[in-house]
Formats: sequence, structure tokens, C-alpha cells
Amino acid sequence: MILEANGIEKSYGALKVLHGIDLSVDEGETFAIIGPNGAGKTTLFKVLTGESPANSGVVRFRGQDVTKMSDFRRARLGFGRTFQVARIFPEVDVFTNVAIAVEARLSAEGRSPGRWWDWRASSQVALEVEEILERFGFARARWRTEARYLSHGDRKRLEFCIALATRPALLMLDEPTAGMSPSDRREMTGLLARLKRDGGVSIVMTEHDMDIIFELADRLMVLNYGEALATGEPAAVRRDPVVREVYLGQHHA
Amino acid sequence: MKRLIAYGLVLLFLLFATAPYTVNAGLVFIAGIAMTEIIFALSWNMLFSYAGLASFGHAAFFGVGAYTAAVFLKYDYGLHFLLVIALGTFLGGVSSFVVAIIVLRRASGIQLAILTLALSQLVVTLIGYSAFLGRDEGIPSIPRPVMEFGLFRIDMNDQVQAYYFLFVMSLLAVALMWLLLHGYVGRRMKAVAIDPERAAFVGIDVWRVRVFAFTIGGAFAAFAGCLLVPWAQIVTPDLVMWLHSAQPMLATLLGGAGFFWGPIIGVLVLSMVNYATRTFAGLSEVLVGGILLIVVLLAPQGIMGFLRRIVERSSTGKPAMVEEQA
Ligand SMILES: Nc1ncnc2c1ncn2[C@@H]1O[C@H](COP(=O)(O)OP(=O)(O)OP(=O)(O)O)[C@@H](O)[C@H]1O
Ligand SMILES: [Mg+2]
Repeated sequence: MILEANGIEKSYGALKVLHGIDLSVDEGETFAIIGPNGAGKTTLFKVLTGESPANSGVVRFRGQDVTKMSDFRRARLGFGRTFQVARIFPEVDVFTNVAIAVEARLSAEGRSPGRWWDWRASSQVALEVEEILERFGFARARWRTEARYLSHGDRKRLEFCIALATRPALLMLDEPTAGMSPSDRREMTGLLARLKRDGGVSIVMTEHDMDIIFELADRLMVLNYGEALATGEPAAVRRDPVVREVYLGQHHA
Repeated sequence: MKRLIAYGLVLLFLLFATAPYTVNAGLVFIAGIAMTEIIFALSWNMLFSYAGLASFGHAAFFGVGAYTAAVFLKYDYGLHFLLVIALGTFLGGVSSFVVAIIVLRRASGIQLAILTLALSQLVVTLIGYSAFLGRDEGIPSIPRPVMEFGLFRIDMNDQVQAYYFLFVMSLLAVALMWLLLHGYVGRRMKAVAIDPERAAFVGIDVWRVRVFAFTIGGAFAAFAGCLLVPWAQIVTPDLVMWLHSAQPMLATLLGGAGFFWGPIIGVLVLSMVNYATRTFAGLSEVLVGGILLIVVLLAPQGIMGFLRRIVERSSTGKPAMVEEQA
């Protein structure tokens, strides 16, 4: 079991957003969290990744209690994440965006990210950055483009590269295809499918697009008003009458 | 733009390198002061643009260096001046490290600004109590050092030798800062400046990076302070005052915060204004204020940003995408 959360409660002031969520994710599994807008998916993500503390409950990573651990320590432990609205480093170029992540990982592993006085990325870093960018379809000609000029879909893709550059054991993707064009969406789904096939990484994702969920997820959890309505294999959850009523009904009526 | 910057830098280098033989003594003196202010401004921008920290008390660290050098030269402890510089820089680094540990725990943004400002004014007050440091009057008529290097000696009593000593040391400092900020350390700092939360999620310890930046920035400010002393031959609490802390901010705003070289342009403009208006008391403040207003309104990215816009427009008509690694 790579990730385990028990009794997660979270309030924003008087507004209680999460009402005691339990979940567990196995090694290598792709776990999806679905639910209508405002259900608390992003909030749950924030609690799991350490961006924002829960009011109560425990989060464990491979058995280790990480509830109070800061975000960067969790990242070093193996959490990689993307945001609902892609967060990249807009003022530096595409290459540098990924290099920052690779170098951060090397430092965290106690290895040298290069020589401090060398303005080029070390050959090891460069090699890794190039490999990732090529694998995810960034043509060499665009590596020196400042990231702020990228389209929405490309930003999402770049953020994905940044997350992968830290070689996470657990990828937390908050709506990886949100706001993308249908073709970008298909491409991203393909990337995720391939990542899953290659193995070695567990994925927790939220997504509104049911086709993507049913294609990728091994198990899923339906969240509604901060409560888990159902958890299980996609086909089983789809048959659940309560779920059909409050959520899937809206899409598959 | 890259080529423009390169030409500009070569021109600047030549101007500074030949100053003792091409311009009058008054301007040479200003050039020497400007060099220390350039290091000071770059060290502030290192915090501001590369770590996202706006310090309003940076002059305190400049003061640590300046007073260290002043004490050693005035009371003649016989330490080689290069070692005095090393010591002053080290003390600047240590004090900024301590301040960073205290201040950066919680504070950021406006709190950081106020805390740093308050701490630097505290230093001014403390100096006022110390007879050793000359209280409010400062330490005047500081002798210039003579440095033995075995094969040769540098006698700073000679204006030309003193100037070139400053010149070489400044080049060294600027080169060091450039290298540091363009390598992986700079990339890491930049990530923290752009989006600290995002940086944390790739495993960067934001707090540590900021403490590091603050420490190094303070050390370079102290280095600048050390260099100023044998040149100006006087230190006063004015060097530590908020007005001096504001100089690198003005220079950075004027020149362009997003550019490594921006603060240099800013210092040059400020120095020229000060020189041109030296006989009219108060006029320089009015001019600096006016120029700043124009720059902020017309070119929020500073003079460098303004130049970049012009270059982009005249060369390609679309935004330059490959620029600004320089
Ligand atoms: N920082 C915040 N302060 C106060 N309330 C918040 C905050 N963030 C989210 N909320 C509220 O908490 C609830 C859950 O929000 P959350 O973003 O977790 O939902 P979500 O499931 O991710 O929705 P979406 O599908 O739209 O992304 C919403 O009612 C939202 O308005
Ligand atoms: Mg959300």
C-alpha cells in the first residue's frame, strides 16, 4: 500500500469540506477520485500532498505517517503532483522548467546537480531533461521558448514533465485534462496510459471526463459533499444505484 | 537583445577601464563610488528577483562591511587589507544569516519589508551609542591601505592604483554573482521567486533557499561596503540608513528588475543625475523622482525592459522567445 488516509476532516472556517474520508491506494494502482464541482476533490488533494493541513485524520505513505510532514519533504519522499490549473515556471524556458525539477531531485538525493559556476545544465541533467521533453512531445525547437508563451494544453503537458522529472513513486494529478481541447485530451490520456503500462508509478487522479476515468482507473472513489459515496472498481461503482443517482446520472442519463 | 547587451557591456567595461585617463578626477571618484553601488544593487536584486524577497534594510549589511574596513584601517590593526575585506564580507554573511533565520521564519512581503527596515534602523541607533564607531559623526579621514603581494605592492594612496584595485575587485564580484545566478543555484532560486509553492512540490526547500540567498546577498553587500571605505575615506551612519537601503531598489526599478544587468543601468543613471546636479541642492531628488515616475509609468520593466520591447518590435515584430538567459 503506497498511500493510506484515515478519517480526513477538513474545514475552511465554518464550511466543512471533508467529512472523514478514508482511502487506500496500492502500489502501481491508478486510483481516481470523481465527484461534482465543489465536492472537495482538490481539497482532499491538498491534504494528501501537504499543501494544506487537515483538521484531523492521518495520512500514511508506505506505512510512514506523513500527516505533519511539509510539502517539500513529501515531494522528496515520492509525491509528485500537478495542479488543476497548471502551475509551471512561466518566466523561464521550457528546458529550464524541467531542469529545475531534475536538479532539485538530484540535490535531495544528495547527489550533485552540477558545478555551481557552470551556467549550462550538467550533461547528466541535460540528458534527462531532453529525454523527458522528447518523450512527451516537445520538439527541440521549442525548448528555449519561455514557458509563458505556451498554450493551455502545452502547459499541462509541461507540468506533467516537471512532475515526472522528480521521479515520483506516487503521481497526484488534479484534473490532468481540464480545459484541454479534445485532441490534447486524447494525447494526455495516451500519455497516462503509457505511463501506467511502463509501471513503477502509482497514480491518484481526479477527472470529470468519465471516458478517461473508465479507461485508466483501476479503482475509483465517488465524492459528494465531502463524503465518500462509494469506492471500488469502475464497473461496480457504475452499477451502484446511489452513485447513479447523484453523479453518474447527470452524465449518463 | 543579446547582442545589444553584449555591446553595452563592452562599452561599459571600456568606460570604467579607461576612466582615470579619459575623464576628470571628480568623475573618476564618482565612477569608483558607482562600482561599489553596482555590487550593492546587484546583491539586493539577487534577493529580490532571484529569491522573491524585498529587503528594506539591505544597507545594514553594507554597513557591516564598511564599518569593519573603517575600524581596521583607522585603528591600524595591521591586517592585510585583502584579509580585512574577507573578514568584512564574512561578518556581513554571518549577520545576514542570523537576520534571515529570525526574519524569514514567518515573515514575507510587507512584514519582511518592515522587519528588515526596523532592524537596519536599530543598527543606526546602536552606532549612535558607540564612541568607537564615531557615533553620529562616523569615522572620518580614514587612511588608505598599502598592500604587499610579494612580487608587487598596491598603494591605494595612489589614486590610479586605488581605482584599478576597486575595478578589479568589482569585476570579480560581478562575475561571481553572474555565475552563481546562472547556474543551478540561480535556477533553484528563480523557481522559488516565481512560485514558492510549485518549487516546494518538486522537492525544493524554499526556506533554505531563501536563507541562502539572504546570506549571500548580505555578504556581497558587505563586500561592497569594504571596497567603499579606502576610496571614500569616510564612513557615516548614512551608509546604513534607510535612504541608502532605497538606492538599490531605485536602481533596480530604473534599470529593470527582471534582468541581471538592470541594476547596473540604474546605478549609472542615478550616479549621472547626482553628478549633473551636484551644485543644486535638492534638484537630484526631484530629478530622480521624476525619472522614476516616467519609467514606472512608461516602462514598468525598467530601462532594460523598454530596450527589449524596442528591439523585439524592430527585429521580428513578435515577442522574442529565446532571450534573457544573459
Ligand atoms: N481556500 C478555500 N477557502 C474556503 N473555501 C474553499 C477553499 N477552497 C475550496 N473551498 C470550498 O470547498 C469546497 C470544495 O472545493 P474543492 O475545490 O475541493 O472542490 P473540487 O471537488 O475540487 O471541485 P472542482 O470539481 O470544481 O475542482 C467548495 O465548496 C469550495 O467553495
Ligand atoms: Mg478541484
